[in-house]
Amino acid sequence: MSGVPVEVLKRVPLFADLNAQELERIARLFKERRFSAGETVIQQGSGAAAFFVIDSGEATVFVDGKERRVLKTGDSFGELALIDAGTRTATITAASELVCSGVTFWDFRPLVEENGVIGWKMMQALVTIFRAERGE
Amino acid sequence: MTDGETATSDLRFEPPASGSWGIDAVHFPRPATLYWAETHPAAIKRGVQDFTAFYGMLLDAIETAYVNGFSYTTMRPVGPEEIPARIKRAEEVFDGKLWREQLREWDETVKPASIAAHRALQSVDPEELDDEGLAEYLRSCSDHHSAMIVQHMRFTATAVIPTGDFLAHIGDWTGLPTADLLGLLRGASPVSAGASAELDRMVGAITQDALARELLESDGDPAAVLDELRALDGEVGPAVSAYLDLVGWRLLDGFDISGPCALELPDVLLRSIRIAATAAETDTSDLEEQIAAVRGKVPEEHRGEFDELLGEAKLTYRLRDERGVFSDIWASGLMRRAALAGGRRLADRGRIAQPEHLIDASVQEMCALVTGEDGPSAEELADRADYRATHTAKDAPRTLGDPPTPPPDLSGLPPAAARVMRAMGIASGEMFGSSEAEHEEDVLHGLAASRGVYEGPARRVAGPGEFDRIQRGDVLVTESTSEAFNILLPLLGALVTDSGGLLSHSAIVAREYGIPGVVGTREATDRIADGARVRVDGDSGEVTVLG
Amino acid sequence: MSEVVQLVDASDTSLFGSKAVGLGQALRDGLPVPPGVALSGAVVDAVAGRDEQAIEQVALWVRPLKGPLAVRSSAVDEDGAEASFAGQHLTLLNVPGADELTSALSEIWWSANSDSAITYRQRVGLFSRPSVGVVVQTLVNPETAGVMFTRNPITGADERVIEASWGLGEAVVAGRVIPDHFRLARDGEVLERVAGHKKIAFRSLPDGGTVEQDVAPELIERLCLADGQLAELNLLADRCESIYGAARDIEWAIAEKTLYLLQCRAVTRAGP
Repeated sequence: MSGVPVEVLKRVPLFADLNAQELERIARLFKERRFSAGETVIQQGSGAAAFFVIDSGEATVFVDGKERRVLKTGDSFGELALIDAGTRTATITAASELVCSGVTFWDFRPLVEENGVIGWKMMQALVTIFRAERGE
Repeated sequence: MTDGETATSDLRFEPPASGSWGIDAVHFPRPATLYWAETHPAAIKRGVQDFTAFYGMLLDAIETAYVNGFSYTTMRPVGPEEIPARIKRAEEVFDGKLWREQLREWDETVKPASIAAHRALQSVDPEELDDEGLAEYLRSCSDHHSAMIVQHMRFTATAVIPTGDFLAHIGDWTGLPTADLLGLLRGASPVSAGASAELDRMVGAITQDALARELLESDGDPAAVLDELRALDGEVGPAVSAYLDLVGWRLLDGFDISGPCALELPDVLLRSIRIAATAAETDTSDLEEQIAAVRGKVPEEHRGEFDELLGEAKLTYRLRDERGVFSDIWASGLMRRAALAGGRRLADRGRIAQPEHLIDASVQEMCALVTGEDGPSAEELADRADYRATHTAKDAPRTLGDPPTPPPDLSGLPPAAARVMRAMGIASGEMFGSSEAEHEEDVLHGLAASRGVYEGPARRVAGPGEFDRIQRGDVLVTESTSEAFNILLPLLGALVTDSGGLLSHSAIVAREYGIPGVVGTREATDRIADGARVRVDGDSGEVTVLG
Repeated sequence: MSEVVQLVDASDTSLFGSKAVGLGQALRDGLPVPPGVALSGAVVDAVAGRDEQAIEQVALWVRPLKGPLAVRSSAVDEDGAEASFAGQHLTLLNVPGADELTSALSEIWWSANSDSAITYRQRVGLFSRPSVGVVVQTLVNPETAGVMFTRNPITGADERVIEASWGLGEAVVAGRVIPDHFRLARDGEVLERVAGHKKIAFRSLPDGGTVEQDVAPELIERLCLADGQLAELNLLADRCESIYGAARDIEWAIAEKTLYLLQCRAVTRAGP
């Protein structure tokens, strides 16, 4: 089975309102991925393929070269990749040995298409981001 | 150089003996003279065998052979029955610091004796000898030359092992590049900088003599200027003569008698004297700081060893140049001087076309010609000279004989034996390492991997951590690329790497993305500054730094 | 159809990918390929997802392979695209054995599903979900290895271009050294030999993984292929072309005097 426990997934805002069964279905889609300290996890400007949740370790987020924040266990990133295959909006590097669970949009998309709740949640998340960018 | 090209295809290259032979294009980029090809192999072999036994190496000899004038070498390992004695000896090398014995022998006996022998031969004026006398003199110079080649090789390991040992250990402990570590030995070899007591005396005399200074700076014919300096009264004249006696008959370049001696190029000699007389003291004030900085990078438990290793390296470092300059570099010059004297005599008689052509005769042939006996014709000698001038090592196969064997695995050897081999190996690499394509001022040469020409700003990116710095239209400059770099490709105008071949990842993706690419430049990351405007020519393989 | 087969039996590219099928075909044609096992994209996917059955199955098939392993990705739909995908997918060398295979397969799965791989696919017109099979073979530990193109990729000329270096071929493929460069005419005549600058070599370690070693100074610029070996490579080029067609990109290695074929693909974008 995949590495990400349901409890961790539950903390991901995108999945906050899902029930245990739905969460388990999602958990099964994830695959473990490891990065060594210093490795680039995602690169700003590159195409996007997967969404990640951190199982253990820490990662640093850089936007336009400036450090923004540190991510730890339970934090997630790259969710926009699940919506469109656009470009990454930040660079994230592993600050330590990093174990993530990741899912690509091909694996995730059928689930969204079947499950309206997840789709709705994602739209809400997008709107939040959109409002934040407009300074609201 | 078109004639040379057709001639090459007529040359047959046969392996000189069993084994795997590799060309030495570094020391012998052009064919050697017949004289050298006959003299060198036996002498170098004897010298090498001396040091391999002295230092307990598992190598017996490096054999040299000349094929169509090109130098090929092969390694001869010791026979299995020798190995126990060698291993035992190797154990004594570092414990007993055996190189100090050789250094003492060099300083106290060998070097003074060699200088005396050179001066003895030098004091003879070949022009004043009759034909028989000249033939005998040629033989004496040749015998002396052989002995000096043996001597040069004898002291090679002593010159090299402590330095190599230092580089190996400190390199392992700090990861610093060899060039940085060699910098710590600055000032340890005055001879390399041309220094000597005679030079100091001459510079001292000149700086105190207004007339001498004026002469030195004058624009006149360099040979005439040197003669005038020699003729000056007071301190200057004798000091200049003493200096020219010391360095005048040294070969300026290479080892073969085909190269000029210092006195044959008076403008070079004069220029070097000018530089010595006017140069500021070489600044070694930051040397202590640099040594401390490197020492600080060494793990604490090894710092005592660091001091010891550095000390031994500094002690022996000057031997690298001394062993050549006071042995065969001088002796070769004297042989050349004798041969040129004979050549002038024969040219005057119309026996050969130019004095210089006698350089292409063997010793026996030189003696025969000088005493009026049978020998090669004028045309024959002229042809040999022409051959040497029109061929380079690039015309010759890189290897002969058996396929090359992979590098030996030192991990199976007992520690002392491995340490000796490694110390020898690293230091040799520093001496032999060279790059084939000479870089002109601001142009680098590499392999033309992907066509097209592009100009843009260079961006030095070492790895994925720096990918953020790439802007659209940049020229990527990096050591080599991996799949991780593929993300950048849509942004790039061109690609330049240090290593890699035409079939490497970098080359393939550059072609695929249709951007100009030059790989295998060796030095792009050293020589192209970040942000510099460059032109990448993927058709010619050139990268030009525009500013 | 079984999802795990002996390499010599791999014939369905939609399952195993073209690299595996190519190598399988080479084996069937008697070319000197190291023996191994082919895993389908679905199996690799399952192992990456830590499916226990899949892990068991792979272990069973791989255990008979002796010694350390070479694990290469074999993408299932690369062939159609006008692209070499050079360096897109992972080759993991010297995986010690069956037990370490799971994380190797996981790494390979992710290399096929990484941001850069997906971006690359889109650029060359592939928008479908990637599927990556794997070839597991006994690792050859060569003295000399490299790449050979059976058509000049720069000029398009009908000749063999060979680049070689000491140790594992990664040094040449990943461009970590300036390799020796050779050109041969179709009849085997050596047109050019240029020594490179081969400062490092990769060698496999007894317990897994590879190490980068410095090459002895006297060998850095000494040719690593003799004429006899060039002749053997020319013969191999002939055989590959007669079976697969012109313009082949061949990875080869020489270990203990035996020439092995490690990969044979189509050259893309050869010529002006």
